[in-house]
Amino acid sequence: MKSVELRGVTKRLHGEVILENINLVIPSGKFFALLGPSGCGKTTLLRLIGGFELVNEGQIFIGDRDITHLPSNQRSVNTVFQNYALFPHLSVFDNIAYSLNVRNVDKSVVRKRVGKIAEAFSIDRHLYKEIGQLSGGQQQRVAIARAVINEPDVLLLDEPLAALDSKLRERLLVELSDVQEMLQTTFVYVTHDPFEALTVADQVAIMNNDGDIEQMGTPREIYEFPVSSFAARFVGTTNILKGTFGVREAGFGVDVPDVCFFLVDQAGALVPNAREGLQAFVSIRPEKITISRRLLEGVGAPKLTGRVANKVYYGHSTMYQVQVNDGIALRVFEQNEEHVRQEEIDYDDQVYLYWLDKNVVVLER
Amino acid sequence: MNIKKLFLPQIPFFLGIPALVWQVLFVYVPLVFILVLSVQSGTFESFRAFFTAEYGLVLVRSLFLGLSTATICLILAYPVAYWIALCAGRWKNFLLFLLFIPFWTNFLLHIYAWMFIMDRNGVINTVLQWLGLIQEPLHLLHTTASVFVVMVYCYTPFMIWPIYSALEKFDVRLHEASSDLGATWWQTLWHIVIPLSLPGIRSGFFLVLVPAFGEFVIPELIGGDKVMFAGGVVSYYTLHAKTSSFGAAFTIITSCVLCLVLCLIYLLSRRFMRHVTHGKV
Repeated sequence: MKSVELRGVTKRLHGEVILENINLVIPSGKFFALLGPSGCGKTTLLRLIGGFELVNEGQIFIGDRDITHLPSNQRSVNTVFQNYALFPHLSVFDNIAYSLNVRNVDKSVVRKRVGKIAEAFSIDRHLYKEIGQLSGGQQQRVAIARAVINEPDVLLLDEPLAALDSKLRERLLVELSDVQEMLQTTFVYVTHDPFEALTVADQVAIMNNDGDIEQMGTPREIYEFPVSSFAARFVGTTNILKGTFGVREAGFGVDVPDVCFFLVDQAGALVPNAREGLQAFVSIRPEKITISRRLLEGVGAPKLTGRVANKVYYGHSTMYQVQVNDGIALRVFEQNEEHVRQEEIDYDDQVYLYWLDKNVVVLER
Repeated sequence: MNIKKLFLPQIPFFLGIPALVWQVLFVYVPLVFILVLSVQSGTFESFRAFFTAEYGLVLVRSLFLGLSTATICLILAYPVAYWIALCAGRWKNFLLFLLFIPFWTNFLLHIYAWMFIMDRNGVINTVLQWLGLIQEPLHLLHTTASVFVVMVYCYTPFMIWPIYSALEKFDVRLHEASSDLGATWWQTLWHIVIPLSLPGIRSGFFLVLVPAFGEFVIPELIGGDKVMFAGGVVSYYTLHAKTSSFGAAFTIITSCVLCLVLCLIYLLSRRFMRHVTHGKV
């Protein structure tokens, strides 16, 4: 259980810059997720920590030890590979025992430790099977058991769930966070799926298409207070509107022409160099907007009126596309709390939209 | 319609017929022919003639030639195949092409070329004398060493190909996984790469061992026909002495010995696999 620190790391492959001047601190003992679109360089970052690629510039630390030039077999870092990379000619037992066997650990000790970890991962019944006889979920458990048996300081996971179907994926996500809780090892989990990152991680870093870290924080911070339109759009769905900073009687906010004036709650995260007249983006999540055909009482005046242009039924919720003027439509989620709705909203209905000022987020870019 | 239905599923079978006929005509019929020939006198006399120490020695010598040629080829070919399959990158196709070239010239021409190289007045001696490193020409041709050099030269490509095709399928991530788990490069080679390429090693070994065991042209031309090998005995009895029943009998004896040796090697390789995969070096 140690932290990982990247200082000014630059990586070029075949003359192309993949990562440039990355500074990142991965806290120790936490479940850390590195989230980014495919091809953004997040797997390269993982491979640099694992030692499968070497940096062109910069340094990598584990705890306070500089491991920049250490080969992968001397780093106290283990990896759960995409598609697991289990050794096909070895049994489950020998796969798990591999890191002990190459260190010439005594046979009886190996048997004891493999037995113990297999029990913890409930694969003890399959120890003498071939790898090909296991299901996807069992293979994943073998891959994790193999990687953690030597108690590494850091465990790297490279999209370990990408190949599995969604039901199994949800179950294994829960299992993974249990494993992290049990081992207390620093987990670095690379994924392109925001859902995976938000559900398992304690800390999330978002990487953009240029390979830069866009934002870092807890899943809640990332979701509720995205700093950029990239982060806001990548994690969940949102409505992003472009306007200018301005001051009205009610206070400071962002004026979006032909739509409305978004009052910004001063307590919320605010762009540091916000000045009147400067271009600004605001984001409001679809579920933060209340939609109604009638005027609601006790919540003030409606923020906007619009016409329902589209409606998608998801079961637990319904998504409306509300046209507020010729060019701009807002997405609104409504939780389906009742079997039979009292007020059915349909295509072309005139609706009122409400939201709380504190739920509007100003984006830096 | 019905005829079509009956005929269509059988197409693969009909397409296979020429190959089948070929195999029957040129493998099984000759085999039966040899069997009949060996006992044509009605007794096993032609077999009995070979159960002497001299012919035993011929078999042992041939086995030694075949096994050591195959072993040297394996040691030389494995790094080459490994490098081409896993490290060569964009040079891969060019290197494979280079491996093909020897197959374009006749086998005998290779041997004659080597004779020119190793002759008393050959390339090596001329160059060494010209450099002043030696006064008298070296005795290179007609030595055991020269036989091995040419044998290894001729058979190495047959070893590289099967090993290359086994390593080509190797998943490089297994290499990374092994290193990630703390193994050194050599440990990875021993525990992961070699076991997974064992089928290729085995077929390459057989592909070299079988013809090298029966080889008689190279020992005759390069080795100076000083000692007899199994192939030489067979060719002598079948071609020269017109005592073809002896030739047939010896062919059957050598085939049986060779089959036994191949089975033995197969079992050994399986034991090796078990040894490497279960436990330490």
